Amino acid sequence: MGSEKHIAENGTGHLIDDEWLIAYAAGNLSEAKSALVATHASFHPVLQRKIHSAEAMGGALMESSDEATLSDGFYEKLLAKLDDTDQQDQPAMPTLKDDAKTIFPRPLTNYLNQRPDELKWRFMGPGMSQVKLRCEDNGEKLWLLRAKGGTEIPSHGHNGHEFTLVLQGSYSVEGQLFGVGDMELAADDIDDHRPIISEGEDCICLVVTEAPINLKSLIGKAFQPFIGL
Amino acid sequence: MSNSQPAFQKTNIEALTSNWQGWFSAKTNARYRNPTKGSSISFLNTDTTETLALKVAEHRDKQAFRLLFAHFAPRIKSFLLKQKINGEMAEDLTQEVMVTLWHKAHMFDPSKARLSTWMFRIARNKFIDKVRRQKYIEVDVDDHIRSMEAPEKTDTAVIQNQDRARIMSAMEVLKPELRSVIQLSFYQDMSHSQISEQLDLPLGTVKSRMRIAFQKLRIELGNF
Repeated sequence: MGSEKHIAENGTGHLIDDEWLIAYAAGNLSEAKSALVATHASFHPVLQRKIHSAEAMGGALMESSDEATLSDGFYEKLLAKLDDTDQQDQPAMPTLKDDAKTIFPRPLTNYLNQRPDELKWRFMGPGMSQVKLRCEDNGEKLWLLRAKGGTEIPSHGHNGHEFTLVLQGSYSVEGQLFGVGDMELAADDIDDHRPIISEGEDCICLVVTEAPINLKSLIGKAFQPFIGL
Repeated sequence: MSNSQPAFQKTNIEALTSNWQGWFSAKTNARYRNPTKGSSISFLNTDTTETLALKVAEHRDKQAFRLLFAHFAPRIKSFLLKQKINGEMAEDLTQEVMVTLWHKAHMFDPSKARLSTWMFRIARNKFIDKVRRQKYIEVDVDDHIRSMEAPEKTDTAVIQNQDRARIMSAMEVLKPELRSVIQLSFYQDMSHSQISEQLDLPLGTVKSRMRIAFQKLRIELGNF
C-alpha cells in the first residue's frame, strides 16, 4: 500500500500542533521525532500541505540570504565533481516495494526497511510487546508498542513528553479516543497516564518518549529495567 | 569573510531584525554576478530558476547550471554559515547540494514545488546527514500535492504564492517577536527549548508564537 492509501479512517482528528511541523520543516528535530512527524503527516494531507508551506518558507529564507564569498576555484572543483562517475551512482536509500504488504505508511516502512511481520517483538508486560527502533544521545527513544485489545497500560508518569501515533487499532485516555493516524501528546508533567486499548484487534503505536517513564506499581517498577523505558 | 561561527552564541535579535530589511529588499532575479569571473551573467528573459533546472535535467545544460550555481551557491553557503558550522563545512555542503542538483534535476517537478523549496530540502537533509550524522525521514509531500483532488485548490496557485518576494513580504509584516521564533528555527537550527532559553521565554510562549506566526504567514500566502 502506498502512503496515499493511509488516509486516516478511524482517526478522530488529533493532529500534532504546528510548531512541530515548523520544527520538522526547518530540520530541528531528532531522527526519532522526524520519523514520528513524517509518519503522522503521511495520514493527513492537511499536515503535508502545512509542511510544504513551511519548507517553502525555508526556501525563501535561504534564497534571500546574503551572498557569501566562495573560495577560489570553487566552481572548477565543482565541475570536476559533476563528471565524477562515483557521484552519479550513489546507491539510493533502499526502499521496499510499494506492494509490500504493510500496515505502516511509507515513511516508516522506508525507515524500518523491513516488513512488520519481520519485526522482532519483545515482551514488555501482560498483553504488551515492543520493538526499540532508536535511542538518541539525549535519552529520547523511538519504539513500537503492540498491545492486545482490552489491555490496560499500567499507570505511569512522564519526565518528558510522550508522543504516541496510532498505526492500528485504537485506545482511549480519560474518555478521549485515539484511532489510526491520531497523535497523542502527553505532557511532561502528567503523573497518571493510563491508556486503555479498545477491545478487538491489537493496537500498534509508534511512540517517542523523551525521558524514562515512571511506572507506578511495584510490579511495573520491577519490570522497568527489562523493558528499557 | 570570517568563517568561524561560535557555537550557541547569544543571538542579537535586533541585528537579525534589522538585517531583515536587507534580505527583503535584496535585488530580485534579474542579474547574477558570476562569482568565479567577477563578470555578470543575465538570465534570458523567459528563464526562471525552475526553467533552468529543467534545462539541466533535459539537456545536461552546463550554462543553465552555471546560472543556477551563481544564484544559489553563495546564498546556500551564507544560509549554512548561520547554522553553527565553519566555512569549510559550509562550502563542502554547498558543493554537495549543487552536485545533487546536477544529478537529480530530473526529479524536480516545477508543478509540485518551487526550485528554492526543493533546494532547501536538499540543503537541510545534507546538513543533518553530514553535520549531525542522522537520517531525516521524508514525508513524500510532493506525492500528495500531485494527487490533490479539487482542481481549483491545486497547487499551481499554491505554488505561485510561494514566490520568494511574497513570502518575504509576508514575513516582513509579522511582528518582530513572531518573526524571531521562525528565524531561530530556520537560521540557527534551534529546538523549541533552545529558543525558549535563547529568548528567555517560557516554552509554552515560544510554541504559541510559532503557531500564531505560521498561521499568519499561511493566511498571507493564501494557503488554507
